[in-house]
Amino acid sequence: MKTTELISFPGRDNPLIRKLILSGLLTERKVASSTSPAVVAVSKYTLRTIFQTLKSVFYSLIGFGLLLLFWEIVSRVTKGELPTPAATLTVLWSLLTNPFYDNGPNDKGIAIQLWASMVRVFYGFGLGSLLAIPVGILIGTSETLKKILYPIIQILKPVSPLAWFPIGLVAFKSAPTATIFIIFITSLWPTLINTAFGVASIPADHKNVAKAFGFSKTKYLFKILLPYALPHIITGLRLSIGVAWLVIVAGEMLSGGTGIGFFVWDSWNGLSLEKVISAILIIGTVGLLFDKIFTYIEKLVTYGK
Amino acid sequence: MENNVVVLEQEAAENTSTALSMQIRNLKIAFDTPKGEYVAVKNINLQVKQGEIISIIGHSGCGKSTILNAIGGFIKPAKGEVVLNGKTVKGPGPDRGFVFQNYSLLPWMSVYKNIYEAVDSVLKEKTEAEKKATVELYINAVGLTPHKDKYPSQISGGMKQRVAIARAFAINPKFLLLDEPFGALDALTKGTMHVELLKLWNMDNRSKTIVMVTHDIEEAIFLSDRIVVMNDGPAATIREIVPVNLPRPRNKKEIVHQEEYMRTRDRLIGLLMDKVSIEDFK
Repeated sequence: MKTTELISFPGRDNPLIRKLILSGLLTERKVASSTSPAVVAVSKYTLRTIFQTLKSVFYSLIGFGLLLLFWEIVSRVTKGELPTPAATLTVLWSLLTNPFYDNGPNDKGIAIQLWASMVRVFYGFGLGSLLAIPVGILIGTSETLKKILYPIIQILKPVSPLAWFPIGLVAFKSAPTATIFIIFITSLWPTLINTAFGVASIPADHKNVAKAFGFSKTKYLFKILLPYALPHIITGLRLSIGVAWLVIVAGEMLSGGTGIGFFVWDSWNGLSLEKVISAILIIGTVGLLFDKIFTYIEKLVTYGK
Repeated sequence: MENNVVVLEQEAAENTSTALSMQIRNLKIAFDTPKGEYVAVKNINLQVKQGEIISIIGHSGCGKSTILNAIGGFIKPAKGEVVLNGKTVKGPGPDRGFVFQNYSLLPWMSVYKNIYEAVDSVLKEKTEAEKKATVELYINAVGLTPHKDKYPSQISGGMKQRVAIARAFAINPKFLLLDEPFGALDALTKGTMHVELLKLWNMDNRSKTIVMVTHDIEEAIFLSDRIVVMNDGPAATIREIVPVNLPRPRNKKEIVHQEEYMRTRDRLIGLLMDKVSIEDFK
């Protein structure tokens, strides 16, 4: 164990520098050259990470800046047909600062509307996943089942969610339930197809292990099939929740009552484009959040990396 | 002391008196291809006694792995049969421990778990503590105790193959089927692994029958009692079965100087290689 002798250098006792050293972002290292008094070296890796993050933040700020500029120009050219960024952001701010008010059925805070939408999405998406994952596993395991079910899936998959709405209304006699139904039926497919793909692509090597050591069906399911297919299943779920979040706005425009989709439609009827654009920004942000959460889970379940 | 000797002798007598543990009768294996039937091997006849180590050697594509897969029950023969202890092979079973060519460890499980799941699946009647003890015993036997919590991606090829071999032994099968088990290892690691394999075989009083596929002549001689030399495929047959009359335990450094070793090696090279010098290219 060599002890590193620390040489003093200008700023070494600066409280900020000390803090960085203590937090591990900066490491003190002796520099061989006697002419240079500096011994602080940020470990190359952390330095690069910080720099990369700052760089990407900077670039995305440029992107948003350009968007705001374009928006401002359009709203000036159209002489206020499109509200200005400043006016919109003021409205957005007022929405976000008072999110929980409830002034009767047609005037609720944005958080209440968002929550109503999220609850529907989770019901529809949750039920969809509960069906999609087992069916996906069956299709991935059995070539015969795949042949039977795949044509049906291929026909139903591209159908617009709105086309399902009347069916939902007839079946459930309730617009909010019909909304959950259309989310269910449209968010099924990505999970189903990804699960089936994941299960079907289990390498012969892994299957041979199960055969050679006489794994029971349960052991095969939990020790080979699911661990192998899990990353694919999560990818499917990530795509599915994206679809569900797309569909909810359209669904709630039709069903009315509560929810972010209803809010957009209601704001349009109230002739407040500022509110509509604010809602669009909020919807986009929530969608991004969902995506990030599932991307994170995907990383967690990917083995061997 | 004397009693012990008597017991050992009795055991030895029992071992030698055991009937054939493996019989391959008139085996033919064929695959359907778009161009029609492709015969991999045919007319394969082989009798193996319990506790024998048999190597199948031949050039690439001679169907040696195919025969092993038929014994393992992964491939159904087009004709003939493989009989293990009086029963015709219908499919894979826990009486055979298989060591696959590419280790076939499950990447999402630790070394310990990879062996444990096999043990848990085969030795159902054992208690949890017994299963754990068995796993620990075999991990220790291949020297992987310090690495038992690592994942397959974190260990070397030699270690992976040790895990695969420990897994095959841990289920206590009557037969061990090894498909080019050391093919991907460097020469030095290979040498150590040969000795480790024999050590595991000795742990069970040499009662397990081992069939191994290889393309390494020295490996085959060091490990085997008999070496099955294959003709080239397609429709490969057995060319000759070469006995290795070297006493056990064998010593890697010493056997190479024995006359029997050299004679066997000459015979195998004669059977497997047409060209043994640049002179032969003229």
